[in-house]
Amino acid sequence: MLFNSLTFIVFFAVVLALHNAPLPWKVKKINLLVASCLFYAAWNPPFVILLWISTIVDWRVAKRIYAEQRLSRRRAWVAVSVLVNLGLLGYFKYGEFLLENWQLMMSAIGVAWTPPDWDIVLPVGISFYTFQTMAYSLDVYLRRAKPADSLLDFSLFVSFFPQLVAGPIVRPTQLIPQFQEPVRANANQLLWGLGLMTLGLFEKIVIADGALAPAADAVFGAAKPVPFFDAWLGTLAFAGQIFSDFAGYSTVAIGVALCLGFSLPDNFRFPYAAIGFSDFWRRWHISLSTWLRDYLYIPLGGNRKGWHRTQVNLMVTMLLGGLWHGAAWTFVVWGGLHGFYLGAERFFQRQFAGAKIASTFGFKVFLALLTYFLVNLTWVFFRAPDFATAWRMTRTMLGFGLEGSDLVLSAYLIEVVISVTVGILLVHGFMRNRRLEDVVASAPWWLVGCVWAAMLFFILIAQGSGDAFIYFQF
Amino acid sequence: MAVVALLLAAAGLGAWEAYWRVAQQYEASYRNSDGQWAEVRRRVDAREPNATVFIGSSRTLFDIDLDVWKEETGVHGIQLALEGSNPLPVLSDIANDQDFRGLLVVGITPPLLFLPGMGVRAGVLEYYHDETPSQRIATQLSYPLETTFAYYNIDTKLFTVLARQPWWPSRPNLPFQQPEVRKIEHMRRDRQADLWERVETDPEFQAIVTGTWRTILENLPPPPPEEVARAQFQALLDQVAADVAKIRAHGGEVVFIRPPSSDVFREAERKITPRERVWQPIVDAAGAVGVHFEDDPALSDVRTPEWSHISAKDKARWTRALIGILQKRMAERGVHRPEIKS
Repeated sequence: MLFNSLTFIVFFAVVLALHNAPLPWKVKKINLLVASCLFYAAWNPPFVILLWISTIVDWRVAKRIYAEQRLSRRRAWVAVSVLVNLGLLGYFKYGEFLLENWQLMMSAIGVAWTPPDWDIVLPVGISFYTFQTMAYSLDVYLRRAKPADSLLDFSLFVSFFPQLVAGPIVRPTQLIPQFQEPVRANANQLLWGLGLMTLGLFEKIVIADGALAPAADAVFGAAKPVPFFDAWLGTLAFAGQIFSDFAGYSTVAIGVALCLGFSLPDNFRFPYAAIGFSDFWRRWHISLSTWLRDYLYIPLGGNRKGWHRTQVNLMVTMLLGGLWHGAAWTFVVWGGLHGFYLGAERFFQRQFAGAKIASTFGFKVFLALLTYFLVNLTWVFFRAPDFATAWRMTRTMLGFGLEGSDLVLSAYLIEVVISVTVGILLVHGFMRNRRLEDVVASAPWWLVGCVWAAMLFFILIAQGSGDAFIYFQF
Repeated sequence: MAVVALLLAAAGLGAWEAYWRVAQQYEASYRNSDGQWAEVRRRVDAREPNATVFIGSSRTLFDIDLDVWKEETGVHGIQLALEGSNPLPVLSDIANDQDFRGLLVVGITPPLLFLPGMGVRAGVLEYYHDETPSQRIATQLSYPLETTFAYYNIDTKLFTVLARQPWWPSRPNLPFQQPEVRKIEHMRRDRQADLWERVETDPEFQAIVTGTWRTILENLPPPPPEEVARAQFQALLDQVAADVAKIRAHGGEVVFIRPPSSDVFREAERKITPRERVWQPIVDAAGAVGVHFEDDPALSDVRTPEWSHISAKDKARWTRALIGILQKRMAERGVHRPEIKS
């Protein structure tokens, strides 16, 4: 079920009504659990079974880990959790990819081998909930958290519908305690929740799908090479689209949870105002980057084992982070580029630490624009359907255009992309060190009301296409 | 604040709705969504063994009067024609459907048979086969909105309206881009579609529509080399023959119709897809009854205000004439089908 659908509006109205009804807290939690299962089953009913496999395995594993004192046994149980969750992910998400690459490797050494037909449907959200349940078992193993007392609370933690299919990836210590006592949104929380839902849907329906997707699709779907200007406009359009789409989803998720009285963590903090890549990853898909930091980068040694090992740890983390996004080498390259950027940033920070120019406003603006420029180059690999397209686009964007290129973007699309992109950069720049709550609180109420009304109005007349959110494919 | 926001948004929406109803003469109508097509497609099953299914492009969609068809034959037709689309993938899809044992009426708009893909509604078959429970519910929830709000129409989406404003400059050397086809139909729940009255009564709007057709016809892609074109067409004929044979093996039957066109459209079609090189080979390959609008004055003596679709006022007469001619042709070939009382 998509947030941007009539089905969700009716579903949420019913869930909200039941949550605010005079029912015992346990009944309300059961309602939320049933609603979450229905939310997930609305895509493909049989896949609820996978959700339950992940839930039951980690429920039992965490209990065993907690009760077990012997390190070898604790490790064995955590290995069970990792194997089951990564096994599910590996089969459904990477099975075809692994077979294709095996076939390529065999063919490279002269062995002709045809893989079986492997037509597996990717269950929506599997990358998110498997990481969430693994984090639970890992936190218990690392003695960062105790197992949940109640299977109901744990099941709800895994399947909580606002964040089930595309995050934010929530830690057990962030959400499970919220289920222990009855919660209901007060008037202010309900208002904020509805406001965030409006903002998120505006980002998705109006900005991502309506304004930017047509240009991105035209450029990345072009049959022939495109010229420099179109290549850049298409990439800028995608940069804005993926932010508005994904941040829009997270904002709706946070808003929905808030309407029910629950708090989910921020997932984006105006990333296109980032100065450098460490800063970028503290602002983009925060729940994933912190997950990778806590469960991959730090266990690998983080920055505690010397300069060279730090670079390796960064690169491994980002390569796997790229692969998490999709079963294709283009995603690995995307991750690898970010790993390279992070490593290069550390190098330059070491070389130029303390330089006076680094603290000037002009230099910070330059760095922010440079970061934005380099991030856009990575988006080419993220969006392109294959390496050939990605390589062709990158060459064109760096000024090594190919012969026989055709314009693809109309003047209308060019003006829309430029206007929206400038708008996004200005908003991110303004909000870089501010919180939305503070900005709204300091604005006149009538202005906030007008902006809210405008967003609602544009959502309704944009009509939407019912397109899935981009991160649903991960 | 929330109340202010809601009231302002409602006022804005009211103004938007009023603009489309009053200034632009739009009425509320079903949106012709993928969900609506899937709902009608699901009628092709064992519960309607003697179904009459129509596939084709917008001409088949607009020109067939389902009420007249029911009156004359006793069968409520299943309208699956799709605007701007090649019907042959849908023919294959129905051929693979073991539940279909009725009469399939395939409308041919010759140039559309040579689209690079399926055309404007390319995603509809995948949608039908992969439709989720949530999407099905959303389609049902959408219907009351579609039949209440005139603005709730694919033609009036914010960015669609914005893109077609005349103030955008043209970009030099931009290759031809397919123009947007404006709303020209009014649709019912069972996908009975009529040519929108405004196309006939508003000369300015009619000129926009005919201008669109002219632009498309003047910018068709060049044909492939002769030997490639011949091979592709032969593959098309082989596929049609195979699909028709499958349908007959299940107990069904297929007939082909060529709905009328006029003026610039008819001339272009004569030139690029002459009858004897496209229509006739298809009918021959299928070994089926084929009715071309040029065969009988009753089928060509109709108004097509924008050169491509029959006026809503003439479609009843045209449909009756078509049924009569189909019955006669089928009887001549010894093809007797209860669906059409032949």
